[in-house]
Amino acid sequence: MKESGSVLVIGGGVAGIQAALDLADRGFRVYLVEETPSIGGRMAQLDKTFPTLDCSICILAPKMIECYRHPNITLLTYSEVEKVRGSAGNFTVEITRKPRFVDEAKCTGCGTCSQKCPIIVPNEFDMLLGDRKAIYMPLPQAVPRVTTIDKDSCLYFTRSVCKICQKLCQAEAVDFDQKPEKINLNVSAIIVATGFSLLNPSVINEYGYGRYKNVITSLELERLANASGPTGGHVTRPSDGKIPDKVAFIQCVGSRGLGRGVSYCSSACCMYATKEAILIKEHKPKSEVFIFYLDLRASGKGFQEFINRAKENWGVLYIRGRPGEIIEDPTTKDLIIFCEHTVRGEVRRLEVDMVVLCPAFIPRESNNKLSEKLRVKLDEYGFFKAEDASLVPVDSNIPGIFTCGCCQGPKDIPESVAQASGAAARAVEVITLTARREG
Amino acid sequence: MISQEGFEPDVLGFLCNWCSYAGADLAGVSRFQYPPNVRIIRVMCSARVDPTIVLEAFIRGLDGVMVLGCHLGDCHYMTGNYYTEKRMKTTKNVLKSTGLSPDRLLIDWVSAAEGEHFAALVKDFTERIRKLGSLGNETHLELHQLKKRLVAAKEALAQEKLRWLVGREMELVDSANVFEEKVSQKEFDQLMLQIIEKEFSKRRILQSMQGEALSIREIAQRVGASPREVLRNVVSLEHEGLVLFVGVEGNSPKYRRAGG
Amino acid sequence: MEHRRIETPKIGVFICHCGINIGGVIKVPEVVQYAKKLPNVVYAEENLYTCSSEGLSKIKEGIQEHHLDRVIVASCTPRTHESLFRATCTEVGLNKYLFEMANIRDQCSWVHMKDPEAATEKAKDLVRMAVAKASLLHPQEETEIDVIPSALVVGGGIAGITTALCLANQGFSVYIVEKEAKMGGMLRYLHKLYPTMRNASEVLNQLVNEAKASKNIEILTSSVVKEVKGFIGNFEVAIQKGDEKTVNFEVGTIIVATGATDFEPVGMYGYKKFDNVITQLQLEQLLKKGRLQNLKRVVMIQCVGSRQEGRSYCSRICCMTALKNSKLIRESYPDANIHIFYRDLQTYGQEYEKYYREVQEKGVKFIKYLPEKPPEVSLGENGKLNVNVYHSLINKQIEISADLVVLSTPLIQHEDAKELSQKLKVPLGPSGFFLEAHVKLRPVDFATDGVFVCGSAHWPADVGESISQAYGAASRASIPMSLKRLHTEALNALVDEEICSGCGLCELTCPFAAIRIEETKKGRKAKVIAASCKGCGACGAGCPQMAISMQHFTDEQLLAQIAALAEVKS
Ligand SMILES: Cc1cc2nc3c(=O)[nH]c(=O)nc-3n(C[C@H](O)[C@H](O)[C@H](O)COP(=O)(O)OP(=O)(O)OC[C@H]3O[C@@H](n4cnc5c(N)ncnc54)[C@H](O)[C@@H]3O)c2cc1C
Ligand SMILES: Cc1cc2nc3c(=O)[nH]c(=O)nc-3n(C[C@H](O)[C@H](O)[C@H](O)COP(=O)(O)OP(=O)(O)OC[C@H]3O[C@@H](n4cnc5c(N)ncnc54)[C@H](O)[C@@H]3O)c2cc1C
Ligand code: SF4
Ligand code: SF4
Ligand code: SF4
Ligand code: SF4
Ligand code: FES
Repeated sequence: MKESGSVLVIGGGVAGIQAALDLADRGFRVYLVEETPSIGGRMAQLDKTFPTLDCSICILAPKMIECYRHPNITLLTYSEVEKVRGSAGNFTVEITRKPRFVDEAKCTGCGTCSQKCPIIVPNEFDMLLGDRKAIYMPLPQAVPRVTTIDKDSCLYFTRSVCKICQKLCQAEAVDFDQKPEKINLNVSAIIVATGFSLLNPSVINEYGYGRYKNVITSLELERLANASGPTGGHVTRPSDGKIPDKVAFIQCVGSRGLGRGVSYCSSACCMYATKEAILIKEHKPKSEVFIFYLDLRASGKGFQEFINRAKENWGVLYIRGRPGEIIEDPTTKDLIIFCEHTVRGEVRRLEVDMVVLCPAFIPRESNNKLSEKLRVKLDEYGFFKAEDASLVPVDSNIPGIFTCGCCQGPKDIPESVAQASGAAARAVEVITLTARREG
Repeated sequence: MISQEGFEPDVLGFLCNWCSYAGADLAGVSRFQYPPNVRIIRVMCSARVDPTIVLEAFIRGLDGVMVLGCHLGDCHYMTGNYYTEKRMKTTKNVLKSTGLSPDRLLIDWVSAAEGEHFAALVKDFTERIRKLGSLGNETHLELHQLKKRLVAAKEALAQEKLRWLVGREMELVDSANVFEEKVSQKEFDQLMLQIIEKEFSKRRILQSMQGEALSIREIAQRVGASPREVLRNVVSLEHEGLVLFVGVEGNSPKYRRAGG
Repeated sequence: MEHRRIETPKIGVFICHCGINIGGVIKVPEVVQYAKKLPNVVYAEENLYTCSSEGLSKIKEGIQEHHLDRVIVASCTPRTHESLFRATCTEVGLNKYLFEMANIRDQCSWVHMKDPEAATEKAKDLVRMAVAKASLLHPQEETEIDVIPSALVVGGGIAGITTALCLANQGFSVYIVEKEAKMGGMLRYLHKLYPTMRNASEVLNQLVNEAKASKNIEILTSSVVKEVKGFIGNFEVAIQKGDEKTVNFEVGTIIVATGATDFEPVGMYGYKKFDNVITQLQLEQLLKKGRLQNLKRVVMIQCVGSRQEGRSYCSRICCMTALKNSKLIRESYPDANIHIFYRDLQTYGQEYEKYYREVQEKGVKFIKYLPEKPPEVSLGENGKLNVNVYHSLINKQIEISADLVVLSTPLIQHEDAKELSQKLKVPLGPSGFFLEAHVKLRPVDFATDGVFVCGSAHWPADVGESISQAYGAASRASIPMSLKRLHTEALNALVDEEICSGCGLCELTCPFAAIRIEETKKGRKAKVIAASCKGCGACGAGCPQMAISMQHFTDEQLLAQIAALAEVKS
């Protein structure tokens, strides 16, 4: 069945995907705009997901493919929202499709071009721990399965030589002359699902991120633990490729801080650190894993039990406290963590091979610009603000524009997904009500 | 065991659509190379694989079968692969009764992110089967003899009682020790082994009888089992109406296959 | 089982080079020649890219010119391309279930790049297997069922009312069944709501009135679900209204919003033994009625009856409730001394952490206790309560006297939930709450199609979260109802009633409640609910009588594939 009315979904993470699928299944036309070359968002980067430890891409990829195949969904990847005008029931939206220099309609995703491209650069998707080519797919399960040329590193664009990819592509998909393309849409409602970023933990200078090789972030660890990640799923130390025996996680890096970083709690870190600790234990049961925390926040379904299992079955050690400083042994590159006992004043010292920082969830940088275009309010931290977080949790201040997932603030996947469906339902309400008013 | 010169195993793989097939695709996309001996049949879930179908593959002369699914807990249909696990455990035991190594059946889990793992599994499994050699080489049986055993094994796996028990295993064994009345995994496994042995022998007995009236001793000779065991199974077959008592000849009672 | 035999099939095989991805390794022309000689194959050709628009028109031409009634594409993976090729077949009138793929790229040319000979041989095998299966394919009609565009919402709390209103506003008719005499659920007993501090009753009344005013909503109070028959699209519901009568109606979907109840900590911390030991819920009542007077010293104890042996979970809302109520007390009695004994404070997200800090700034004191050394409450000589606790940070036992001790107890499942879960054929999870279809990706769906869940029936949730989920459930339920007709892929289990013994193993096996034992003229028989069956095959591969066959993945077809593979060998 076809419904009249269409919806723009901005952001192709798990929240945007769910909202798009619900609406499309319902019969509405959906435009799903994603700024990177592939949909999937953060969840596509994760290895396993708490609390059931299922493989992240295994459960997400079928949904990504469904978005691609759905007759009611128009996927606009590598695209940006430029302008938005109008009001609930009748928004006009201008979208720019950035040139990917590969014709989406022709490219079959075979990857021949990438294989032969001589330029190797760090892959953002792998948190720069792995490589990609100048013509690339960010992840093997990319949707759409087409390549993109990164203009900034491609030899042709930087030095007017090469074009190897074009010569090799039998589908004749490579097109160096592609220009940005403007698209104008008319939609009844808009759903914002642009997700979150992570704080760069080098702000918390004393933990040495960026200076010490073996201090990594939790998202970097997800890529290391992932079987299709840069190390083929082996969690190794960046300094020497050794599999660490002793790993410490530090929670609330830049979260719940007074002064530096952000003051709020990032909600998902206690749980994902526990998950990552288990992953390390799974890979190497003899390793010792410590988690430094302030409060263990495990109030979701099955979460406390998950932590209990981490403690009892896996022997993960939880230490209450916020480490003051980390020092690197310059020869071994091992790390020494100093943690002061708040009241007793004694200082504990723990020597480990690797430290994993769990940085604060922060708003996407693009939120500012996007919020201006949409005239939607941000909260004091820069997340999209719900008009009333308790009573209409997915409504923004502008009727007809809804928000869901981590663009509203830190959340885990189940909450993001439930909210995404919720935003879809509200969008339908708006469409129905405006149609009734007009008809 | 002597390895067979020039033996190239034929391996069949049943892969579930959602994880393991996706994992195999990823191996492809990532160009992980593995031996070309495996051929894949896609099924929606590993739980689609009926044990009798696995046996059919061996009857047809294939050397190894892999059944791959999502990791436990990841099945797209939630509990499917738990059933697969139980069913394949039984299938392995049945395979053992025929004299073949249960290692010829591989049950494992491959996620959609584990392309490399898939390639490694195929490699290891192909090597394993290469070492075991062809079916005949391993069992030192003539092919037609082995086939008969495999057919008996397949028939055993089609037996109602066996299938019923396999299907209830999770329920029966689940949360053992919490409630005293539940069966422990060990007890259950032992019970299953007994039933498998028995069902397999019974199918062998039926096979051996063809159309003739035979004494227990004669049957025992044909199937290579002790007369005691054969007697027990023949009585049980008689109860099921599959074997008829036809009279006493000399001192020995004689039996015949019911029906044709 | 289907025994429809088809006339000799006419199979067409299209073999893709995928640029050089297949053709660079596999000798495609050789495979084409080979395919032409296979039984039932009447046509075979090679394409540079079968999935290009040119390739697709070749398929269509092939079907028309050669009267093909089966099509095979040997190329990449069905996971990404099957639907495209199927759609192409449908365009020229070929049933999509008459299409089959052989994956000679991902499983062949890409993984045996250094052995073109073997790769070519393997490609032939894969094509031969596909031909064997295709010869036995049947056209399938997808089951269509009508969906009644109305919903039953069980539970008239904030979640139930919200989901009902959302659906009613979309034009669906909704029945709300509430077992109490009044609508509103837990919010009826609450004072103010964190984090907005609005009056719970105001919030509630507004929504209840909206629901009452909606012409699409029918409210049945003092009512419970007596019986549910049928499945998605057409549930026949019987409601017991009070002692009097049963009400019968039909709905297309059902949403469970029965919420939760609070745990009574009898025998813990002097509850019911000492007068001034109460629960947070009782405190809400006292605050609401303004019955609290002259409060000097208050102690709140968190995790009473939760996160411990027997009830291991964290109830999510109690920390914020304690913060809220201590804030309210401080506002009315600025001198009141308040201590909160906690284990881990669950003030997640932006709002709640800020709230926590505000409460700290208001002077409420927080003491972390260890579960192995919980506080003890006793009655002092002066009639005051004494609370003794080991303060882990200063490593000391301390004693605090109190006029009032408030216990924060968890939300727990209703006693009658088990019964409801059985009637609806949906499960309860380990902690007693309703168990969704998939923890991550289907948080408001049940595995049983057409039944959904939201609010604290699923897990303790605050009002904002309950409402998000309520909208979510509305969205999910609206999909089948707006389509009005559902059709499912023809990948169903099919039961041969002649063989089925009605043993019920399949019903136990199916995680989707899609196969159920029913009384028929021939006795108890398994019946598949086509609309709910996902075609996984778990029931079929286990049926003791082997009475079940799987559409599109029949035993016959699998065996033919095996036979085709083994063919050259023997
Ligand atoms: C290390 C780590 C581990 C985690 N582990 C788990 C776990 O195990 N279980 C769990 O439940 N949760 C986990 N989470 C949380 C989980 O990642 C989030 O809940 C989830 O990804 C949120 O989805 P989203 O769609 O809201 O946002 P995102 O995944 O961030 O997706 C947003 C999408 O929008 C796009 N976008 C952004 N801005 C724009 C724009 N202006 N225009 C167009 N597109 C835009 C982005 O490119 C992205 O694709 C983890 C988080 C981290 C950091
Ligand atoms: C002490 C306390 C303080 C709280 N304070 C706050 C706060 O300040 N802010 C906040 O956001 N949240 C607060 N909460 C949480 C809040 O109560 C829940 O978020 C909310 O009640 C969830 O709504 P619900 O509709 O899911 O469930 P409920 O409110 O429990 O409603 C469920 C309804 O279903 C009915 N029902 C149950 N079983 C059946 C059946 N079998 N058949 C028919 N009907 C049935 C019940 O009678 C009830 O009316 C507090 C909770 C407690 C216990
Ligand atoms: S651009 Fe050409 S060579 Fe590259 S992946 Fe696409 S089709 Fe293949
Ligand atoms: S032209 Fe650019 S993208 Fe193409 S192969 Fe050369 S460097 Fe790579
Ligand atoms: S398992 Fe088989 S025999 Fe038993 S009820 Fe189901 S279909 Fe009938
Ligand atoms: S095939 Fe799967 S979903 Fe369908 S009835 Fe059988 S077990 Fe249930
Ligand atoms: S779907 Fe993969 S094992 Fe069930």
